[in-house]
Amino acid sequence: MAEAVLVAPKAKAFVSPKALPRIYAGIAIILLWEIVVRGFAPSYVATPSGIVAALPRVVVDPAFLSASALTLAAVTEGLLISIVLGTLLGLIMGRSTIADRALRAYVNGCYTIPMIVVLPLVSLWFGYSGAARLATIVFAALFSITVNVADGARSVPREYLEVARSFRSGSWRALFEIVLPASAPYFFAGMRLAAGRALIGAVVAEFFTAIPGLGLYILYNSRIFRHNEAFVAVLLLGAFGAGFDGFINYTTRRYLPWYHRDEATE
Amino acid sequence: MNRALIARYAPAAVSLLIGVAAWDYGGRHMSHAFLVTPFDTIVRMVQLVLAGELVRQSLSSLALFVVGFVLALVVGAPAGLLLARLPALRRALDLYIMIIYATPLVALIPFILSLMGFGFAPKVLVVFLFAVFPILYNTVEGARSIKPELIEVARSFRTDEWSLWREVMVPYTLPFTMTGVRQGIGRALVGMIAAEFFLSSTGLGQLIMVASQNFDTGALLAAISVIVALGIALMRLGVAIENRFARWRV
Repeated sequence: MAEAVLVAPKAKAFVSPKALPRIYAGIAIILLWEIVVRGFAPSYVATPSGIVAALPRVVVDPAFLSASALTLAAVTEGLLISIVLGTLLGLIMGRSTIADRALRAYVNGCYTIPMIVVLPLVSLWFGYSGAARLATIVFAALFSITVNVADGARSVPREYLEVARSFRSGSWRALFEIVLPASAPYFFAGMRLAAGRALIGAVVAEFFTAIPGLGLYILYNSRIFRHNEAFVAVLLLGAFGAGFDGFINYTTRRYLPWYHRDEATE
Repeated sequence: MNRALIARYAPAAVSLLIGVAAWDYGGRHMSHAFLVTPFDTIVRMVQLVLAGELVRQSLSSLALFVVGFVLALVVGAPAGLLLARLPALRRALDLYIMIIYATPLVALIPFILSLMGFGFAPKVLVVFLFAVFPILYNTVEGARSIKPELIEVARSFRTDEWSLWREVMVPYTLPFTMTGVRQGIGRALVGMIAAEFFLSSTGLGQLIMVASQNFDTGALLAAISVIVALGIALMRLGVAIENRFARWRV
């Protein structure tokens, strides 16, 4: 009688072998951080174990929750304003030579200057209030969208528009069916930059004007030497930034798969 | 005058004139704490230059910028080449580098303040942190795009590691690094002002802070104008450097 050889189906690896070096490196970084801080730094400095211990306390802390809600809501609101205004301005500049020549100096100027220098002016004009933070966020985010959308609208192949015209399609249809889709990848590249800059804008505005939010939460807790708690807020900011980045990457790959472009200019 | 020239420059000239006129109108009709006219700004700027204040503070800011930026270049570019040369190390670290790159680094300034205090070193660290990641990132991407044939040919001529770096990797990657340099300049400027605002106040940042606390809006606008000019000059320099090396791209 032939013996039946039973072979258990090979278990699917829980983590792909490619991810292993990452995991090892992550463990190494965390261990190194813990050891260096425990060995050489004052006891209030954030350590991974301290952050993990602080995490359950912080995420139910009403102060942290309201700070997160305020900052992330302001960033979202500022980004939405920037998307609408920036796309509009970018389309006008990309499609009209006169508008482009008239506005380019302002847009490039505002885009190039370190946005942080406007903080004193913004807080002077808008007061030490949420409006100053919103204005800073819009100033930080608006122009990277404008510049990129203008680039995109300018780069629409002329033949497409000529074909549309020879089929007597209206200019609104040409705008919505040719110019906007053709500028979409540039728009997403601009969005990515804008999101990063908006986060920075929100945090520096809170540092500068001391209005409640994640920036002030970090500032306050680090001043009273509660670095572990403060670092949880940094992690949240980082997660928001990285998450948004991933979302834009995914959207570009999913909906604009033909498109591949070098990193947008910063 | 040539019609084409008029069409080329008239819109910009008109819109700049409108901008200056609006600024002037605002300066005349608002409180002086809010806005002062362009003329008053220029007068205040000349006063600050004559007092030596503006030049001294600009040089102080520039020193901070240069030290931090050079450090970022000296660390970022070799580290980028190393990561590209050792794929295992790159795969292990790229996720973490991406995470740090996406985190708003200004949020770390309060930690740097309470760890390192008010000296020159913490400010250099801020400029360094802002500038190093674009340089590192672009160098890695550039070195990764080296054609494997180039390295194989070098290998078949029995080149050693040092010559491989000197003759193949560095020349090939340099244009990409320079793209990182251009991006890094913009970020380092933000880092410079952030460090001068939120760490010990020096340089142009101090000038701005003092002016805004005294409601000396003329000096505030003058200092902002200098930073804008400095920023535009440095960005132009960055673009020029990038274009200079772009010719090497194969």
